[in-house]
Order: sequence, then C-alpha cells, then structure tokens
Amino acid sequence: MIGIEPALLLSAAAFWPLALAMLCVLPKLGPRMITALPLAPLPALAAAIYAPSGTEFGLPWLLLDGGIRLDDTRAVFLGGAAILWTLAGLYAARYLQNDQRAAGFALFWNLVLAGNVGVFIAADAATFYVSFALVSLMAYPLVIHDRKPASLRAGAVYIVLAVIGEVALFAAFLMGSAAAGGSILIADIRDTLAGPGTDPLILWLLIAGLGIKAGLMPLHIWLPVAHPAAPIPASAVLSGAIVKAGIFGLLAFLPWGTTWPISGTTLALMGFAGLFIAALLGAAQSNPKTVLAYSTVSQMGLIMGVCGVALATGLPAAALLPILALYALHHGLTKGALFLGVGMASVWLRNSRPFFLLLMGALALSLAGLPLTAGALAKAAVKGPAGEIGAALIGFSALTSGLVLARLMFTLPSATPDKNPPPAMMFAFLALVIAALSAPFVVYGQILGTDPDPTADLAKKIVEAWPLGLAVILAAAAAAVGMQAPRMPEGDLLEPLRRTALLAMAAFHAMSDTKASSDISTETDDAPPALTNIERIQAAFADRAATAVAFALISGGLFFALI
Amino acid sequence: MTAFLPLALLTLPLVAALISFAMPEARAVWRDASNILFALVKLALVGFLLLQAQGGVDFEWRYEFLPGHDFVLRVDAIALLFVTLSTFLWLIATIYAIAYFERGPNLARFFGFFNLCVLSATGVAISGTAITFFLFYELLTLATWPLVVHKGDEKSLTAGRVYLTYTLAGSAAFLAGILWLKALVGPLEFAAPPDLSPVPTLTLILIFVLLIGGLGVKAALLPFHGWLPQAMAAPAPVSALLHAVAVVKAGAYGILRVVHDIYGAGTVADLGLGLPLAFLASATILYGSLRAVMQNDIKKRLAYSTVSQVSYIVLGASLAGPIAAVGALVHLVHQGIMKITLFMCAGALANRLHIKAVTELDGAGRLMPVTMASFTIGALGMIGVPPVAGFISKWYLGSGGLEAGDAWVIAVLAGSSLLNSAYFLPLLYRAWLLPPQGDHAPVAELTGGWNRMLVLPAAVTALASLGAGLFASFPFSPLEWVSLIVDAGYLR
Repeated sequence: MIGIEPALLLSAAAFWPLALAMLCVLPKLGPRMITALPLAPLPALAAAIYAPSGTEFGLPWLLLDGGIRLDDTRAVFLGGAAILWTLAGLYAARYLQNDQRAAGFALFWNLVLAGNVGVFIAADAATFYVSFALVSLMAYPLVIHDRKPASLRAGAVYIVLAVIGEVALFAAFLMGSAAAGGSILIADIRDTLAGPGTDPLILWLLIAGLGIKAGLMPLHIWLPVAHPAAPIPASAVLSGAIVKAGIFGLLAFLPWGTTWPISGTTLALMGFAGLFIAALLGAAQSNPKTVLAYSTVSQMGLIMGVCGVALATGLPAAALLPILALYALHHGLTKGALFLGVGMASVWLRNSRPFFLLLMGALALSLAGLPLTAGALAKAAVKGPAGEIGAALIGFSALTSGLVLARLMFTLPSATPDKNPPPAMMFAFLALVIAALSAPFVVYGQILGTDPDPTADLAKKIVEAWPLGLAVILAAAAAAVGMQAPRMPEGDLLEPLRRTALLAMAAFHAMSDTKASSDISTETDDAPPALTNIERIQAAFADRAATAVAFALISGGLFFALI
Repeated sequence: MTAFLPLALLTLPLVAALISFAMPEARAVWRDASNILFALVKLALVGFLLLQAQGGVDFEWRYEFLPGHDFVLRVDAIALLFVTLSTFLWLIATIYAIAYFERGPNLARFFGFFNLCVLSATGVAISGTAITFFLFYELLTLATWPLVVHKGDEKSLTAGRVYLTYTLAGSAAFLAGILWLKALVGPLEFAAPPDLSPVPTLTLILIFVLLIGGLGVKAALLPFHGWLPQAMAAPAPVSALLHAVAVVKAGAYGILRVVHDIYGAGTVADLGLGLPLAFLASATILYGSLRAVMQNDIKKRLAYSTVSQVSYIVLGASLAGPIAAVGALVHLVHQGIMKITLFMCAGALANRLHIKAVTELDGAGRLMPVTMASFTIGALGMIGVPPVAGFISKWYLGSGGLEAGDAWVIAVLAGSSLLNSAYFLPLLYRAWLLPPQGDHAPVAELTGGWNRMLVLPAAVTALASLGAGLFASFPFSPLEWVSLIVDAGYLR
C-alpha cells in the first residue's frame, strides 16, 4: 500500500464504487456485478487504515470548488462503514445470487456506498450534500427491492421523509454558507455557527435534515418500517452504516464548544426520549428485523442525546467526537452483525445452533453494555460527555436495551432442517462478529489516547450493570411463565399519520385530472377510498386551493412591499 | 468586417429558412442537410465570436431604420451567452425534429418557420436597443404561431389563438412602455443606459409595470401564464425549443435586460419594485409547481414545470446583488438544457411507445433505457438534486436571496424543491421500478439510421446538464462564464 498517494486513495474510496455502479448498467455484465459487491468498499477500507490523518485532496473544478479530507474521527466512521459494507457485500453476493433484480440491487448498492463514503470524507458542504443525496435517494430502491406491498408502503414513507430532509439540509447549508461569508467548507460553516449571533433556525434545520436520517424521535417513523423491508444485507448497512451518515453530519456541522442551553436541552430530551421509547416499542414487535430497527433508533437516540447535552454545556469537539465515533463504530458493526445473523437463523445447521445463539447473545449483550465487552467500553466512554443525568440515563437504559435485545432472541426464526448456511454468508457473519466484538478495543487507544482497561473497577462496573441483569431476569421470567410480549404496530405513529395522509391525497387527486388509476393506489396497494362527504368538501376546496394560494401570495407580497 | 458578424448570425438562419420554404418536398433530404449544415456553420461562427470576445471585443452593427430609432445589433457577453445556448440547442433540436417527423406533410413550412424562430431568438439576444429587441420579439411571436398550430387540429388552432391573444397583448404593453420611456429619456441602448433621474417616480413605476407585464406574458409570469400549458398542443420538437430557448426565454431575457440594462438593479430597488417582482416570481414558482403536480399528461406537467422554472430567472433578476444575478443567468442556461432534454424525451416516448400520460409510464425505463436515463437526469436537475446543473442554480439563487437580505427566498426554493420532487419522482418511480403495462417489446433505441436521432440528442443535452453541474467550477462551465460576466460588470 505504501507508495500509493494517500489523497489518491481517498478519492478512489468514493469513485471506485461509482465506477462499479456504471458497470452494473451494462446488460450482460449487470447481473454478475452482484459478486463484485465485496470489492467495492476496499479502497475506502484501505484509505481508512493507510491514509494518514489530515490527508486532503482538493477537487477545484468539481461542483462548487469542493474537496475531500480525512481526520481521526472520519477515519473511524469510514473504516467501520467499509468493514461492514465489505462483509455485508460478501453476504449479499451469495444471498441475492439468483435474484431476478440482482443487477439493480448491485447498481443501487454501489451508488449508496459511494454516497456513504462521500459523506464521511466530504470537506465541503456541497460534496457532503451530493453524497447525502446519493445515500438518501438511492437507498429507496434497496428498501423496496422485493416490491411487496408492505415494502412499497415503507418506501413511500421513506422517500417522502428523505426528500424533506434533503430540502432542510439544503436550506441549512445555504444559510450556513452565507453566514460564513460564502465559504462552503464544513470547518468554516461550523466555526461560523459557533460564533456569536447564529440563528438557531440553521441549527434546527441541520438537526432536522440529519436527524431524519439518524432516526431522531419523532422523525424516526420511517426507520422501523424501511430498514426491515430491505433484503438482509441492505438492512445491515442501512442500520449499521447509513444512519451513521446522519450522525456524522451532526458531529461535523454542529457548533461544538459554544453553549446552546435551549436547543441543546431540547435535542437531549428528544434523543433520550428515543433511547427509552424506541427500545420499549421494539420490545413489543414480532419481526426480528423490526426489533433491531427499533434498537437502532434507541441507540442513535443515545448518541443524539449526548450531542444535546454537549451542546447545552458547550463541550468542545475534541472531548466529544472521538468518543461518539467509537460508540457509532461499535453500534454499526454489532447491528450489522445482528442483521446478518437474523438472516441466517433459519438456515443455520441444527446441531451447531447453540453456537449460533451464543454468538447472537454475545452481540446483544455487548450492545447492551455487559461489563468486559466492547459495548461496555464504548458505553463507559460515552458517559463522560453525557453529564451526570445523562450518564445515569445511559446506565439505566441497559434495562430497556436488554429487553429489546432479549425480545430479538425470542423472535429469531427457528432452523429449517434441510438447509445449510452457504460458506460465504457464514464467513461474512463470523468475520463481522469478530470485528464487532474487537474493533472498539483495537481503535480505542488510537482515538482516545489512553489504552482501554476493561477490568479496572470491575466490581463497581458489575454492580452498575444491574439494569442489564434486571432485564435478563425479567426476560427469563417472562419466558418461563410463557408471557406474551405486548404488540405494537410497526412504525408506531405511522399508521395514524398514514390514514390522515391518504385522506389528504385522495382529496388532492380528486382535483387533479388523474384518472381512477391514480399514483396513490399503485404505490400503496390500497384501493382509492370512496369519497366521503368530508372528502368531497375537501376536494371542492382543493379545486380552488392553488388559485387561492397564488392570490394570497401575490396580495401578501404586494402588501408587504407597500409597507 | 467584424461589424458584419452580428448580421451574419441572423443571415444564416434566414437563408436556412428560405431554403426550407423553397425546397420541394421531393428534395426533403437536401432540406434536412442544409438545415443541419447551417446550424453547424452558425455554431462555428459563435465559436469564433467566443474566441474574439475573450479579447474583450464587442461587435456592433447599427442602422437608422426610422428617424431617431437605431437598429442596433450588439454582441456583448450576455448576448453571446444566450446566442451560444440557442445555437447549440438549435442544432440539437433540428436533428431531433428531422428524426421526429421523418417524412410528413407541411414540413417545408415547419422547418421554414423553425428557422425564422431561431432567427428571432438570436435577434432578441443580440439586440442593442429596446426597439430592436421589440422588433425581434414580435417576429418571434409571429414565427412561432405556425409551429404551435402545426398539427392543424382543433386543439392546436385553439392553442394558437390563445397564444396570439396573450402575446400580442403583451407586446402592445411592452411597446407602449418603451415608446413612453424613449419619449422621456431618449434612445434606450442596453450598452449605454439612459439617465432616468428626470423622470417622475410614479411614471417610472408605471412604465416598469408596462414593460415587465409585456415581457411577463412570454416568460409566463402569473397571471399571464395561461397560454403556455395550452401551447402543449404543438409537436414535441416545438415544445422543446419553445420552452428551452425561444419564447419563454426571450421573455425572461427581456426582463433581465429591463431590470439590469435599462433601469439598473439599483434603481429598481430604490423604486421599491424589486421586491414585488420577486414576490410575483415566487408566487409563479410555487403556483406552477402546484399545478404541475396535478397534471397527468406528461407534456402538460412539463409545461407547468416551465412556468415555475422560468420564474427562477425572474426571481434572480429581481433580487438586488451580483450572486442572485449569477443565479438568474446561469439558470437561463441550465433550465434550457434540462428542459429541452425532458421535452425531447417526452416526444420520444410518445413517438415510439405512444406514452403520453404519467400513468402510462410504467416500465418505460426497461423499454427505452437511454431515453429514460436522460429524462431522469433532467428531472433530478429540475428538483435540484446535485450534481445536476439545477442544484447550482438553486444554490446561487438562495445565496443571492440571503445576500440581498431576503431569507424568505430559501423557503420558496425549498417549497419548490419539495413540489418538484412530488411531480417528478413518481414518474421516475413508474418508469424504473414498475413492470411495463401490456406487452411492449424493448425499443431498439440506438439502431436504425436516423431513428437513433430521436434518442441521442436528449442524451447529449442530459450529459451537458450533468456536466454543467458536476464541473461547475471548471473554467469553461456556464457558472464560471456567468460569474465572469457578472464580475466584469455587464449587469449593473
């Protein structure tokens, strides 16, 4: 590897998957490109490992004079994502081998990967925005890959929120860049936001735009339906790597080092609310993938809650970013491994199933923060910047995390006797398990500056882990007495929202000249509801709504212009 | 010699028009060949002018056609931008039109007026005075009418009637405006702006309303946009050219000239006229997008999208400040290449698969992948998804709004982007992700002689819109070019 220009390596990280994506379009080669998926993230992996921190590469004629760069935090995000993408790609190569839509899957997989890498190495807002758009929009075909009605519904929710998030980000970047005197460098925008007189609106546009991707409650509603809808390997990268694009954006753009009492506290409340509520909602699910998706919302809630505390207390970036990067790394790999494991549960050999359950249990306990595991290491680190209350909440959250992950173990499908796990998928899963359980130990010293010492104060840590113990006891007790978990619909708030939206859309379509076979009916697989009296009134109103809006705008505009 | 170069720009399409009119149908091949040849020669001439203009030379040709009224052709940097765009797209549209019509009735008439239309658009671009501008602007109206009614059916004739009513009324208002102003301050030369200080404020405002109202008809500003969606009755190559460079662009370009070269952005702001115009443009942007969402006919959806997108240019022109001006000018180019792509694709879909409605679009991506790929690039550009060119326009318009202290522009752009997604993404979804309806076989897009020219022109402009966005900071990109123009102080 030595001898390759680091900057070149860094650009290859983003451009190599794009090049592979172009090959996927070719009619003959396209369906075979699925086997090349594990190759796509290799330059990114190499860049994360070999490119020294501070590597920069300007692309002066691209977009608005953009560039890419790498530093320690970015390398952690990039490396974690690259490992996950590689192994999930290996898994996908076998999993979707005979899929009729393999070419399309490979195409969008590569595009999303390029975007995901781009997000982590973008030095300027425009490059970040391009990459983020790539991740957001191109993940849609992955979500609806199987074209089942439920997936299409999930995809519709996903794309609407993704587009809203994009627009919010666009506005935030425009305003941030204007405040920074026209500079589009992420560093300049962040420094300007940290300066005096910043409009909190910019902050909240950023939080909304990035929080949608990261599953910030209550913007999370797409996540528990969209992540499970995708094929297993796509779910793994969605939950493991792609949500991290939102988290990374928050870490990169938010004005660390200045105190934002109100905004910070609000963000902390939203984050910690997600930490607990999503875990409880997840524990009430029956699809293991949905359980895992809720667990993602919960874990990302933890990260964003800590972000909120840091904003409220004005914590500097140096004290925050490496720790959250470590936490995100652990979550990404573990969650990816859990998703791959769910996909293998039904094909794992009968006689070695206890070993498989042991691995899944180890992943789950690590995620919940069992002492001596990688998860405990990350959790102990993250309590530092979380403040006293935050640390207490995080400690207590082991109970809810434990419950949701216990629920996962009970929802795993049972083995079908006549199937064997394909070696490629088995290898990908095992490698990812090892990576998930060891990576935090490996990078801890490098990014936090001190060596990890998991055994220090072990007794105290074990005592402090009582919520996790309680969770295990509760779950075991529930299983022993045969208690059923309560049932909650997937996507909690989604169903009521969807009904309202359907009503509105029906009215909207009544005024357009679209015929009976409207867009809506095919997209959601619902027959267009017959018009009720209320809808007729809505439609009649909507007929004139466009004109009314226009006139209101004009007259309002003229009025304001005159005064 | 160089003084006659502007004249040559007009002569080339004129000769092409005469040849087209005169050539008997039996020699249609010669007509096609001469059309393409003249378009190529004109492109070469524009290239030569571009090289010359790098040395800072402005070409001018003047002739006093009425006492006190000079006929002035002047190729300055902005004019050259517009001429380059229209010449490039003329070549593309001509090739496309030949493939689209193959051999049909009345094609001599069609190509004749097609060339006259291009002549007028070029004339509009290189006019040096308001009255010269008016002459070409009028000629454009008349040359376009036979194209709009080309099919000759009831619908086309109605559309043509509506088109004439709207545009002639607009022209009358515009003419009244320039004559009134000329009577007060003397000749209205774009290069040497008149001194407006002796004119009473109220009169200036009234004249401004007349001028913008007159131009706003062609630029499809609310409430004068009604003709544009109806003009969809025209054949696809006409719609493509109409929406990209000819008619609506002439209106938008005229508004740029009035705001920046007759009044001056400062004066417009001092008179308190910039903000109302910006509001009107914003209302048009949102209204057009809102109406586009409701259309099931693809071309109608695109037409309302044009109503919305052209007002971006007006919005940029009405906001004071150089960044907004860059946004306006660069969108003039970007919107042109993106919209012509979309219309040529829509035409190809209608021609090959008889797809005209959004609901018929299912699986089109599998049947005509190249066409739909081009369409996708154009549509994503319109939404403002980077790295397609539309993103660059929106970025500069938004920054310009913030620079001028009008942060509400961001809300308009954001709302418009949402609506754009609402009316373009379902098309892409249907085309790429749903299975085809019925039993269409995939179309052989790139085989069969001229047939492929129904597909390739759109691919070329799609790549151009992608390139204009991706390489926006490259020295010869539209953005860099426009920035040079604005930095050099061509817009006051």
